[in-house]
Amino acid sequence: MKIDRLVPPGELTGFPPTDQWDDWVEYDPKLWPEKVPRRYTIVPTSCFNCEAACGLLAYVDKDTMEVRKFEGNPVHPASRGKNCAKGPATINQINDPERILYPLKRAGRRGEGKWEQVSWDDVLNDIASRLRRALKEGRHNEIMYHVGRPGHERYMERILRAWGVDGHNSHTTICSAGARLGYALWSGYDRPSPDHTHARFILLLSAHLESGHYFNPHAQRIIEGKLKGAKLAVMDPRLSNTASVADYWLPTWPGSEAAILLAMARVLLVENLYDADFVRRWTNWEAYMKAERGEENSSFETFIETLKEHYADFTPRFAEEESGIPADRILEIARAIGEARGKFASHLWRGPASGNLGGWQVARALQLLTVLTGSVGTKGGTLPHGWNKFKPKLPSEPPPQKQWNELLYPPEYPLGHYEMSILLPYFLQEGRGKLDLYFTRVYNPIWTNPDGHAWMDVLSDESKVGLHVALTPTWSETAYYADYVLPMGLAGERHDIQSQETHAGVWVSFRQPVLRAAMDRLGKKVEFTYEANPGEVWEEDEFWNELSWRVDPDGSMGIRKHFESPYRPGEKMTVDEYYRHIFENSVPGLPEKAEQEGLSPLDYMKKYGAFEIENSVYELHESELSPAELEGTQIEAGTGRILKDGNPVGVQVDDKSHRGFNTPSKKLEIYSETMKEWGWPEYVLPGYIRSQVHRDAIHRDQGEFALVPTFRLPTLIHTRSANAKWLNEISHRNPIWMNVQDAARAGFKSGDLLRVSTAIGYLVNRVWVTDAIAPGVIACSHHLGRWRLNKNEGSRWGAVRVEFDRTKEGVLMRYAEPPAPFKSADPDTSRIWWSDSGVHQNLAFPVQADPVSGNNCWHQKVKVEKAWNVDRYGDVFVSPARSREVIREWLAKTRPSTGNLRRPLWLDRPFRPAPEAFFREDE
Amino acid sequence: MNYAFIIDNRKCIGCHACTVACKAEHDTPIGVNRTWVKYIEKGSFPSTHRAFSVMRCNHCADAPCVPICPVTALFTRDNGIVDFDSQRCIGCKACMQACPYDAIHIDPNSKTAAKCNYCAHRVEVGLEPPCVNVCPTHAIISGDRDNPQSEIAQLQALHPVQVRKPEKGTNPKLYYIHGDEASLSPGATSGGEYMWSDLPPIGVDPGAWRAALERQTKELDQPAYQMKQEGARKVYATAEPHRGSWARSVSSHLITKSIAAGVMLVLAPLILLLPRLGSEILVPGAFLSLAFLGITLSLLLYKLERPDRFMWVLTRPQWKSWLTRGAYTMNVYSMLLVAVLLTQLIRGRPPTWLLSATALAAAFSALYSAFLFNQAKGRDLWQTPVLPLHRLTHAVVAGAAALAVASLFAGSIRVLDPWLTRILAGGLALNLLALGAEFNSRHPTEDGEVAALLLLTGRFRFHFWFGVFICGNLLPVTMLAQGLLVPAAVLALIGLAIFDEIFVRAGQAIPLA
Repeated sequence: MKIDRLVPPGELTGFPPTDQWDDWVEYDPKLWPEKVPRRYTIVPTSCFNCEAACGLLAYVDKDTMEVRKFEGNPVHPASRGKNCAKGPATINQINDPERILYPLKRAGRRGEGKWEQVSWDDVLNDIASRLRRALKEGRHNEIMYHVGRPGHERYMERILRAWGVDGHNSHTTICSAGARLGYALWSGYDRPSPDHTHARFILLLSAHLESGHYFNPHAQRIIEGKLKGAKLAVMDPRLSNTASVADYWLPTWPGSEAAILLAMARVLLVENLYDADFVRRWTNWEAYMKAERGEENSSFETFIETLKEHYADFTPRFAEEESGIPADRILEIARAIGEARGKFASHLWRGPASGNLGGWQVARALQLLTVLTGSVGTKGGTLPHGWNKFKPKLPSEPPPQKQWNELLYPPEYPLGHYEMSILLPYFLQEGRGKLDLYFTRVYNPIWTNPDGHAWMDVLSDESKVGLHVALTPTWSETAYYADYVLPMGLAGERHDIQSQETHAGVWVSFRQPVLRAAMDRLGKKVEFTYEANPGEVWEEDEFWNELSWRVDPDGSMGIRKHFESPYRPGEKMTVDEYYRHIFENSVPGLPEKAEQEGLSPLDYMKKYGAFEIENSVYELHESELSPAELEGTQIEAGTGRILKDGNPVGVQVDDKSHRGFNTPSKKLEIYSETMKEWGWPEYVLPGYIRSQVHRDAIHRDQGEFALVPTFRLPTLIHTRSANAKWLNEISHRNPIWMNVQDAARAGFKSGDLLRVSTAIGYLVNRVWVTDAIAPGVIACSHHLGRWRLNKNEGSRWGAVRVEFDRTKEGVLMRYAEPPAPFKSADPDTSRIWWSDSGVHQNLAFPVQADPVSGNNCWHQKVKVEKAWNVDRYGDVFVSPARSREVIREWLAKTRPSTGNLRRPLWLDRPFRPAPEAFFREDE
Repeated sequence: MNYAFIIDNRKCIGCHACTVACKAEHDTPIGVNRTWVKYIEKGSFPSTHRAFSVMRCNHCADAPCVPICPVTALFTRDNGIVDFDSQRCIGCKACMQACPYDAIHIDPNSKTAAKCNYCAHRVEVGLEPPCVNVCPTHAIISGDRDNPQSEIAQLQALHPVQVRKPEKGTNPKLYYIHGDEASLSPGATSGGEYMWSDLPPIGVDPGAWRAALERQTKELDQPAYQMKQEGARKVYATAEPHRGSWARSVSSHLITKSIAAGVMLVLAPLILLLPRLGSEILVPGAFLSLAFLGITLSLLLYKLERPDRFMWVLTRPQWKSWLTRGAYTMNVYSMLLVAVLLTQLIRGRPPTWLLSATALAAAFSALYSAFLFNQAKGRDLWQTPVLPLHRLTHAVVAGAAALAVASLFAGSIRVLDPWLTRILAGGLALNLLALGAEFNSRHPTEDGEVAALLLLTGRFRFHFWFGVFICGNLLPVTMLAQGLLVPAAVLALIGLAIFDEIFVRAGQAIPLA
């Protein structure tokens, strides 16, 4: 059979045309040059390796009904058909010979590795009855859902609110809490959305050409911008791939970033390179002058002079002393940023904001540059993320929960962003509460969080965690300690919708279980996704629906009604109906677009997998309120705020009513009254806080270093990729990067075994001597060091089997069985040629919660020496007693809320409870 | 139509998406890659730079892998794509010796050669290769160079481009914009630990290789690789499949073939020139040749990844390949040997034409390896013009030596002793001259130079000086002067075998990518 060409000879096109996706024929690449046609149905879905939710197309072989491969989805507005290495590697995860295919129930002690296969029916009934009992007994706060990789827009909000539970836990305090607080204080939006494509200057305090929110979509646009002439600068003590491609690499001493940014801000002010009109119109400078300087009617010029005075110490010379970056380089870049005028795009997500005490001020200082250059919300500037993200309306909106869970939002962290998951084990240990039912979903705190031993400790203790249900597509260190391990679908084995602020547009994508969709197209109806998935792999959507249905069998608890079909009253809502309702009712423009193609909105999304709601969203703060919106509003004297029922809905600027930002003042808050009100008056302005690894704290002459343990590799994704053979083949060790000068002084050469001592223990790893890191700093990727406890668990592509040796002094983890070839259905398992899976460094880190944002301050002050005779590669030793001491030291830095209010009402909080829950009951 | 690739290094971010997308398209096993990304670092802090280079088949306009393939498994399409057919491949790995870019590997599932084929199965229907589709920054540009409207033609018109090893004359069509010279020249980087992976184990021991290179670099007046002075370090790369792809069975077939050819090369002219000599000695001689020819063929068969397809060299010949030509030469030679043997046994002294033809076939059987090695464009060491002389002297020495040793078992040969002594002595002298000519001159390329140095001062220096020079040549000559023919012959044979072994190994020890 000969297949027709899609384009004339000599021309090539990227993807099969969408009208042929249903029935696509291409030649078998293995049998080529013999022309053997293979018939596929191409189903769009989303990648689930990182958070970007790039589009994927699954090629489902119509004869075998197996997924042959994943390619990019060309109609996806963010990823535009392109992927990083992790996209096509999805097929490895689907075909991983060691994946979990059936629900497992613990048969021995927790962590013992004894499992028995159980039926889903039994699982659901068991969990439902436990959940019902807790709800009926008012033990709502003993139920917790802990998710690692969220996305799934608002799905769990409906579930947890239907249960009335304030139990959503996340990973943000090991990740982005610092940056979120910094951004939120400025605009009420907790993430940046840079418009790289149109920028003139791009400053990254991140590594977006290889990782991060949102690697692939951003990398595309950063390079586009760069080719159009934008200059790219990267701050990173380590030469990331991103820094290597940049025009300027600024190998900053970790934690000194805010000093540089403020020095740059000062240059903009002093050299008159700032956008005076924008700053005057859109910052709350008047509030600052009034509250801090006592000047009621200050002129803007006076404010600028005051600001110059305030930042007078931040000279380029000072920044050089702090950071190691030459003053003239700082000056040069500051001027280039100033010249970008309104087209300054920047990004910070984890990096310095998650590494350092006061990291949240780095985000604030970075945003100060955006504000000064008038680049907020502009074409080529940096937008508030909320403008570029779609939020669905749900078929059923249960009311917000009336609970406030202090295990997650303790009084010590009224400004935390958000759940204090890093402290959960300590709170359980010290008896602040207990968990009756703990769901982990694609979350692996034992491995990912600092001080994993504390997690092992509480997860092994049935008096602290009654039932631990791990919902996971793959084995994880945390799942080893679960009571139930429930296999959930991988990227193309379940439903969800995603929307991310990848660029100055708005889009929504639709993930679907590709085999189910393919069967659907071929006329084979299935009721539940697991019928189409491998083994008995479920999807979360159906799991939560089924579970909630069983919790409230007669509807008397008020839960059931939120799970009833919006189309068939009284009956259980199907997944199709859920998404149908959203696509019909809350995606602007989708019903019309679908109509044009003669499709229902749901069928449109099933066909294309993504929809672009808007492609060019700028300067929404400037948009004026309509007469209808202005009706019944009042203008607040002095501030110009437009109030409706006491709540600000806009702001008057130069006599016009603008929408403004999401802050109390509706302006960009250079001055944060909130900080003052909540006990941090010294931080009302963007500032510089000395890090726990500040230069002066590191005694380099005594073998001390600042360890940067937070960098990602382009090929792996946290703890979700050990099941991808092609990714582990590329990268499987995480040596310690050390500058050549440091290594020469200490007499280390690449490959030498080092002992790296932290505040609570040590780890033993090899050193990689390189010019690609600043002297005095060492770095180690957190992407490796996966382990397994028992022979029948874990992914052998990328996890070593370890053994624990527990003594009075502490716990030693040691390599017992490195990755090695083994026999399986996949012949590639017998070809594993590497014998390394890296060193699990997070285990040796204490929890160091930033007293304001709550972010774990990842960077470590360490002592480095040649490994001792007793040391072996991969050893990690930890003293639990020491780790508890360190936590107490950091907790002592907090300033707990004093009044009844638990958290500023204006600040965002996921799964926001009812307003009354924000107030503590009187003692 | 002329398909080519541009790698635009202004845009490449080294993310490995192309590597994995390619694996997904072709279901490429662990351990081998059709495309991969090499990382190097250069410069001192803070002026450090990391360069990424996408590596793959260069789809050369004059692809050296095509003419060397004995069975047309590799071929150039009309549209300029160098494609391959795993259904035809016999797994002889000659293409891996010919490719100067290390772009070809043996697929562990099919045991046949594989490489980037520009996804010809997709191009056929008008689709881009997946590596182009997947690339987040559109750093891989495919297209028809002949079409001036194509993106690739326009890019190339605007930007200067680099290619890998232009001196090889292969006319590669994998172009780099802002190609990094130190990254594209494999010899320019020093080795070391990789940034996030083990050193791939395939091929020779990387540690030993590195040590040898460092030693050589030190021993030279000037570094063999000029660019080494930039201090570039290789920090990530994949396995080098070419390393040691021709293993011991290849090097050992050289000595057995030298014997098989040499015996008649010595014997036939002696019979022709010395009418007094009884032609009965042709019987043990032909037997000896046939036996060693048999061993040679077995070794060749053994080195194939697909021995089941051995006969395809004869039934599906590709006439430009010296492997094919060699196989036919040996075939003719073996038939002539049988003819000589039968004639001698049935009728007596074979006619002059038969003996002359046999001698000629023997000479060709010995010589063709030289042309095959020359055809292996990827091996700079093997490009030496002295190689035919080497093979011929090897055959003469091996033939005389083998006959001398055989005389222990077949007394009739002993009449040749005086002649064998002279031939052996002459052959060894010639061999020393050839060695001198080879190793006294500088090799035209840095890679050739380093490979030669591996023999003279590097990893194989003991083998070379003690094994080949002293034991294999000097000692036998001295012994011959003392009349110790058989011991001299044994030592000479050992010397030849050692030389073949280290010559084959040193040639393959050079990094190609």
